[in-house]
Formats: sequence, structure tokens, C-alpha cells
Amino acid sequence: MQLKKMNAALQWLREKYAVKADGELVKSAAGSIGARAELKMADGKLVKLLPWRKERRFVELKNLVDNKTLEGVSTLRFAYMTSGKAVGELLYRELDLCAFLGESEIKSAFAVQNGKTANVVAKLFDGKNCSVECSGALPSGAETLDRHELIARRGVACDRTVDTQVPQSSIYVFGKDGETRYTDIDTELFGFDTEEILLVRAAYAVLSDPSLARVWNKADAKLVKQTSDVLATEKNGKPVVYKEEK
Amino acid sequence: MKPVKIAMMALTHGHTRKYYQTLRENAKLDWVASCAADQRAKDVYALYETKVPCYLSAEEMFKKHPDIEAVVIASANDQHLKEMKLCASRGVHILSMKIPTFDPKEYDEMIKIVDKAGIVCQIELEMHYNPVVKRLQKLIADGEIGKILSVQATNITLSPVWAFPWQGVPEASYGKRVPLRKGDPRFRGGALCDHPHIFDLIRWLTGSDFDYVYSEVAPNLRPDLEVEDMILVNGKMKDGTSFLFDPSWSRMEERLKVPGPGWEVFPKRMEVNVTITGEKGTIMCDCFGPNVYHNGAPNDRYTVQYTYFDEWIGLIDEFVACIREHKTPKINLKWHRQTIDCMNSCYKSIESGLPAKVC
Repeated sequence: MQLKKMNAALQWLREKYAVKADGELVKSAAGSIGARAELKMADGKLVKLLPWRKERRFVELKNLVDNKTLEGVSTLRFAYMTSGKAVGELLYRELDLCAFLGESEIKSAFAVQNGKTANVVAKLFDGKNCSVECSGALPSGAETLDRHELIARRGVACDRTVDTQVPQSSIYVFGKDGETRYTDIDTELFGFDTEEILLVRAAYAVLSDPSLARVWNKADAKLVKQTSDVLATEKNGKPVVYKEEK
Repeated sequence: MKPVKIAMMALTHGHTRKYYQTLRENAKLDWVASCAADQRAKDVYALYETKVPCYLSAEEMFKKHPDIEAVVIASANDQHLKEMKLCASRGVHILSMKIPTFDPKEYDEMIKIVDKAGIVCQIELEMHYNPVVKRLQKLIADGEIGKILSVQATNITLSPVWAFPWQGVPEASYGKRVPLRKGDPRFRGGALCDHPHIFDLIRWLTGSDFDYVYSEVAPNLRPDLEVEDMILVNGKMKDGTSFLFDPSWSRMEERLKVPGPGWEVFPKRMEVNVTITGEKGTIMCDCFGPNVYHNGAPNDRYTVQYTYFDEWIGLIDEFVACIREHKTPKINLKWHRQTIDCMNSCYKSIESGLPAKVC
């Protein structure tokens, strides 16, 4: 992660759009299961970032729910497979996406684990089912694979193409060194990788709307606990069940 | 080898039409007769112009064709025991649909009568004869990804209930009317009962049996059904393999009385995808892909047009070989019992809200 360059880009965005609040990206503490960087505000306050909430594909999936393109969502089917990431880190993001895209909090969940994998069945308070497939067991250097599908009485939405198994890229180069793929997602932040772009955008979102800091810090605390609770269910022999917050 | 004289019974199962081409073309078979469960099934059968005589009673069919050696029982689940008894009493070999019965006592009775009659009873799980599955099994057996840690699989389809109404009737599909759980207006007998394949497949891939399952139903996509249509299952095998299955009717359909082009609303009417994570790698597998695509007639909708495989050929080949060579089919009643027990445990888990042991 190129923190220095990312902070320069964050400052450039602040200045371009005349955002008053200031802050800088710092590396998350060792052992954190959330995003790999946090925002340190000018007053020293740390803000946990949920960068996927600003990722275009998730924003668009949420729009499809909000604008009733999909009606009567019943089930969310998520998968997140990487090389090297811990299961807790994967589950943290996916549990947040369950609540974010499902628009209801997690009521119960049960996980089964084996090695660097976890398979979770969860239920939201409004009755929706969620399945979450997590694996940190892809070979070193493998590209991340994920999938987010919303199945509704009217319509199915997904960030993957019908009848495919792996993410598609924008550009495929078949050159002398073999195949190279590119998927650029942000012209203003051209040249950064996807994780870096999403962290800069998330930090910028907080600076643009500082009230987000409280919301995301609260969500992070909840997700850390939920992740730990869910991963303990197999050992406990029963699902974790939450009471609805009033 | 003398061709096996074969017949089809009932013709109300969703897979009925899949057999027509194989029964006609396989030189090891002589398809001599069919009998329909009712006039509607007979009328639908007539649309396929098989030129094989069709009766409205099994007794009449057997009377007119006393040389029938084997029968494909293509009926509702609650008819299977009665029809198996009839076949066994005549020494007729049986190719049963994928769910013999969900009732453990009935299941034991089936095993008993088949053993006593000395007949072949093969359960139709056609995925075993799918080339992608065959490759998958070979990759696993060759140690390509090492010991299996986790299996995720979909067995998702559109709902067949509008063409095959018994699949939406709890008594006909599950065998009796059992509420899913207290306070839920739905009953056992829906999508889960239609999708045993992935429950069977994991047993072959791991060489292990089920330990326990946890299952949840979601709000139905089709509120007018009284059985479940959206369901998720996770759990563990006895060797520690964890799994996550989706056996839902999660692809919407036009409510056709006879399956045909334009049945699907979602572009892809059926999917069996398997992801297997092992200690040395990961395999992702689409058992029915790749395909071709169109947006033409009848609905001008983007549609995945299947490039279907030949599962029914291999399935029937095995059935014939078992009859002529006195062998036991891979998927026989005794083997399949654990798969059915696991599916029953899914319903128990839904009812209790807790993981359920598979006994």
C-alpha cells in the first residue's frame, strides 16, 4: 500500500472539491480485521473505514434495492476468496455487506470452518437468508475472487455475469509475456490499485461528511464482535442469535 | 446382449421427458410401453409422439406386455412404494426417481422388498454420468488440490411445480404434511426435495458421510406455494470437510403447463456449480457450462441455451449392465439412504433452529 501517494491523492481531492475537514490515512493496527488503513482526523480522532460501502458495484447493487428495481429480496449469496487474508477479515467485510445490501441487521448466524475456510448461513431480522463463503486458501499470487448476488421475488442482481464463474476484466492483453488484465475503476485516482482507490475514496467520503465517522466507528465495533461471535458458533454447537436494537 | 424390455410408469415426474430420446435410441433397450398416472399426463405424453403405447393403469400395461423386464418409475414421491411393490411382485427391475421416499420406515420396506425379489433398483442421480463431474472426481482423486477442506455447491433451478404440480403438494412430495417450523405457514416438500444431487456428490468426492447440518429457509419467491422454495444448508462431514449448499428454486419461471422454450425468466434456468477448496488449491466447476446464448423467440429475453450433456445415456447404460450382469448400481437404495437422512436432518434443523446430527 502506497500510503504517502494515497495521502497526496486525498489532499488533491480535498483541494479540488474544497472539502474543509482534514485528515490522513494511516495503517490499521496489527491484528485489525477491518480495512487495512484508517483515517486519522486532524484532531487526532481515528475513523474506521468501510471502503466497500463506497465501491461502485456495491453502491449500484444497493441502488437496485433502494429504487425497487428488485422487489422482495429473499436471499443474499456472497463469496469472498483470497490468498493470504484471514477468515475473520473476509467475514468482517461480508457481514457488513449482508446488512448494508440486505438493509436489515443480522439476527442469527452459524459458521462451519476448516483450515482457512468458513461457510456461513445467516438470517437478517427481516427474514432474508444470507450465505457467505469465505476462503483465504487461494494460492499465493492468485487474484481475489468474489461474488455478491441478491435474489428477489422480482429480479436477481449480481456483480458477476450470468453463466460465469470468475470476475471479468475490462482489458485483456495477450502479449509476449502472456496474458495481462486490467480493470481500472477511477479516472481521478488512475494508477492506484483497487484497494488503494477504495481506501482513498472512503477517507474522502468521511472528510466530505464527517458525521460518517460516528456511523462507521459504531459499525466497526459491531462487526468486530459479530465476526468473533459467528466464528465461535461451530465450537458452541449453536447459532449466535441477536436481539433487535430498538 | 438381448435388449431389455423396458416401460415407463406414471409420467408425472419432471425428468420424464429426459428419458424419451435415450429409451428410443439405446440399442440395449426395447421400449415397449408406458402408463400414465392420469389423463393429463397421458395427454402431455402424446405431445412427444413416442409411438410407444400408453395406458392409464400399470396393471393393464403389465397385462398387455407381460414381457416387461424393467420400469422407469417416473411418479410423485408418495407413489413410489406402491409402484415398487408392484414391480417387485413381478420381478421387474426398477429405475427410481431421485427421492424414493422421505419416510424412513417406507425406505426400509423398499430395501426389504427389493432384496427379497432379487431385482435391480437404481436411483436416478444423473450427475454421476456428467463429464464435468467425472473430470472433477478425477482431479480430486489425482490429488490436484490435496485433502478437501471445504465444498460449496449450488443446485438451483426454476420451480417445476406449474408443470408438475405434485412437487408443490407436501403430501405428494414429502409424503406427509409437516410444518417447516412453529409459526411458519409453509410445509416440508419444496426445493430441498427436488435437489439431492449435491448432497450425494459430496459423499463421493470426500469418501465421507455427513456429521451434521444447519439449515435456514428464506421468504419464498413464490408466496403462493405452500412448500419452501429458498433454502440454505451448511454443515460438516465426518472427515471435517465443511460445506455450504444452496438447493433453492431461486430462478424464476413462466408458469408453463408443459416445459419448453421460454420457461425461464432468469436467463439461466438451472445451475450446479461447485467450488472445492483443498489444502493445495481450489477448483471451481460449472457442471453445465459453457453454453450458448440468445435473445430470440419466444420471449426475446436474454437466455442461456444449454448445450446439454448425455447424462441419461450413461445412467441407462449402467442400469442395463446391472440387469444383464447381475451387478449392484452405484446409486442403490442402501447407498442413497444417508443422502435422504441428511435431507431430513435439514428439515429438523429448520424446525429446531439448531444444527442437526445426521443419523
